[in-house]
Amino acid sequence: MITITDITKSYNGNTVVNIPQLEIATGEIVGLVGNNGAGKTTLFRLMLDLIRADKGQILSKEKNVAASEDWKNYTAAYLDEGFLINYLTPEEYFYFVGKLHQLSRVDVDEFLQRFEAFFDGSILNSGKYIRDLSKGNQFKVGIAACLLQKPELLILDEPFANLDPSSQMRLIKMLKELPAQSRMTVFISSHDLNHVTEVCHRILLMEKGRIIKDIDTTADTLQELEMYFEV
Amino acid sequence: MILTLLSHQWKSFWRGRNAARSLATQIFIGLLIAYLMASILFAGLATGHILNKAFPGQDTVRIFCGFVLYYFFIDILLRFAMQELPVLTIVPYLGQNIRRRQMVSFLNIRSLFHFLNLMPLLFFAPFACTDMAVHSGKLAAAAFITAIVFIMLFNNFLILYVKRRTIINVWWLVGFAVVMIGIMTLDFFHIISLSGWSSKLFVALLAKPILAIVPVVLGLAAWFNNYRFLLTNLYLDEGARSEKEKSSREYSWLQQLGLTGELIALEIKLMLRNKRPKYIVRLSALFMFYGFVFYNKHYLSDQSMYIILFFPALFLTGIFIMNYGQFLFAWHSSFFDGLMASNISIPAFIRSKFMLYNAISTTIFIITSFYGLITWKILVIQAAGFLYNIGVNSVISIYLATFSYKAIDLSRSATFNYQGIGTVQWVYALIIILVPYAIYYPLAKFVSPWAACAVIGGLGLISLLMQSYWVEVLTREFQRRKYLMLAGFREK
Repeated sequence: MITITDITKSYNGNTVVNIPQLEIATGEIVGLVGNNGAGKTTLFRLMLDLIRADKGQILSKEKNVAASEDWKNYTAAYLDEGFLINYLTPEEYFYFVGKLHQLSRVDVDEFLQRFEAFFDGSILNSGKYIRDLSKGNQFKVGIAACLLQKPELLILDEPFANLDPSSQMRLIKMLKELPAQSRMTVFISSHDLNHVTEVCHRILLMEKGRIIKDIDTTADTLQELEMYFEV
Repeated sequence: MILTLLSHQWKSFWRGRNAARSLATQIFIGLLIAYLMASILFAGLATGHILNKAFPGQDTVRIFCGFVLYYFFIDILLRFAMQELPVLTIVPYLGQNIRRRQMVSFLNIRSLFHFLNLMPLLFFAPFACTDMAVHSGKLAAAAFITAIVFIMLFNNFLILYVKRRTIINVWWLVGFAVVMIGIMTLDFFHIISLSGWSSKLFVALLAKPILAIVPVVLGLAAWFNNYRFLLTNLYLDEGARSEKEKSSREYSWLQQLGLTGELIALEIKLMLRNKRPKYIVRLSALFMFYGFVFYNKHYLSDQSMYIILFFPALFLTGIFIMNYGQFLFAWHSSFFDGLMASNISIPAFIRSKFMLYNAISTTIFIITSFYGLITWKILVIQAAGFLYNIGVNSVISIYLATFSYKAIDLSRSATFNYQGIGTVQWVYALIIILVPYAIYYPLAKFVSPWAACAVIGGLGLISLLMQSYWVEVLTREFQRRKYLMLAGFREK
């Protein structure tokens, strides 16, 4: 699905991302962990062609993301509020995103029914613009809009950080079930080691722009990660 | 403590995003403010002289006194429009160990730092110190200045109070409007006379300086009233406007245009639902009346004037491109990441911008065609301007927008808001107006205005027919600077 070769990005002489080689296979659920400033969000932005790499390339389905726009057809991402059009109501935003993927309003409505529990009654028909929603609810809108696109590649930046405990559980459940049904490739970052080891098949540990550990999740993974982050 | 808070305000002013504009803009604004203040001061100094000239042999002090209430009446209206409630500035302090009383005093003092509180002094003090002091004595002049200062304070705190009330209960706004319009109407039909009252009151004040106590009491009362109100209402949620239900809207007529239509609908909502773009749209609508200034008999009867008339024609039909276009992509800065990562191809994005320009400029052209009722010649000039605007200026606008890397906060009000303005915006205004004029002027002067119109309109039409080629070119240019825009817009 994704092939990263020799990619580097630095700001003012500080190397933020430096990955010689990384492959992500179709259907994999990959978790990215690391402290603040490790370069997780920068890596995601590079994958979405939102910043230009100093060197190297990222291929998505064998096509360079910086050269072709084909990846936009099958990639959905939510990194922060900068992905939401904040003056729309949630419904308007969902219809807009749906339209970009040739989904009619009926399709969108039908799809959103599945999110009733996740939304907990505070998003649809709330009479608010997205900018007036709480951060957690904005995040839910972002995640739902991603899944609505039925993406082959899903990228989420710290999806658990702003959610309440029940929503976290629901999201974990969705992230576990959805890829199994549709061969979706998922790439998420998280500070929550428990959740990330529960969801992901494979964990990448990032430090100062480098991937210093690449482990397949086993029963010992959580302990291994906790050892690393121990102060 | 209040001094510490004020020093924070000072820092926030200089370190705020608004301050981080380019040096050229800062110098320009500095000059503008200096010019305004100098003009007011000069007007104040010259008043005595002007009044002497205009009303020879009459009592200038009495006439001057007649203006005072008018000034403060207009002052109230200006304050209502421009003065902002400095409420949010205290949010970070609410959790700190600072007494409520101090916070309220801080808010009150903070509100005094406004140019409307400087204007009356600049304007009234010079006259009071010169003519009035000679005419009625120094003590009377001092009483007059005291009265001016306290009426100013009265207005300041009265308006803050009324504005805070209107946020909580909209009937206050209605009441305020009724009172204001009532006074204006009564004065207009000479049922009451503001100037009569004004001169009576202030002449009496000059005769008996002790009467200055009245405005002093009024000013203090307004301050105290505001203080008391704030003290009991210093809660965040109550300050917030009682939110109206927001409902979803679909523009079905746009949906037939597919993705382009969808993007235009997005843009229309952006304009209608956000403070700053909404202001620009209103301004554009207002400028449509600009024609009445230029299109009058005096200009139209003279053939040589058609050289000048091209200016309003170009301006009227291009007002939207000029105003909205200077931040074409920057309007999207708060969600540009999402837009660029979503399934919208760059050519489609650019094409939607062209469509938006075409649609809105055509609407404006049709509306302003009513000026054609004055004479058909206006129609010809406007048609030329219109074609040039949607043909050529639209391309220039989109091209230059790719050089604008400064984020825009949609929710901030637009008056004196220089956020997002950089060199590009200045260049933009110049190119969009001067280039067509440079083509039009020599032709109109040495050949004929109609030949000039034909050339301008022809250029526009040719360029308009090339629009799909321009989309390709602009897509390339957009791609080239996409990362710079993304990085700039992310810096909020």
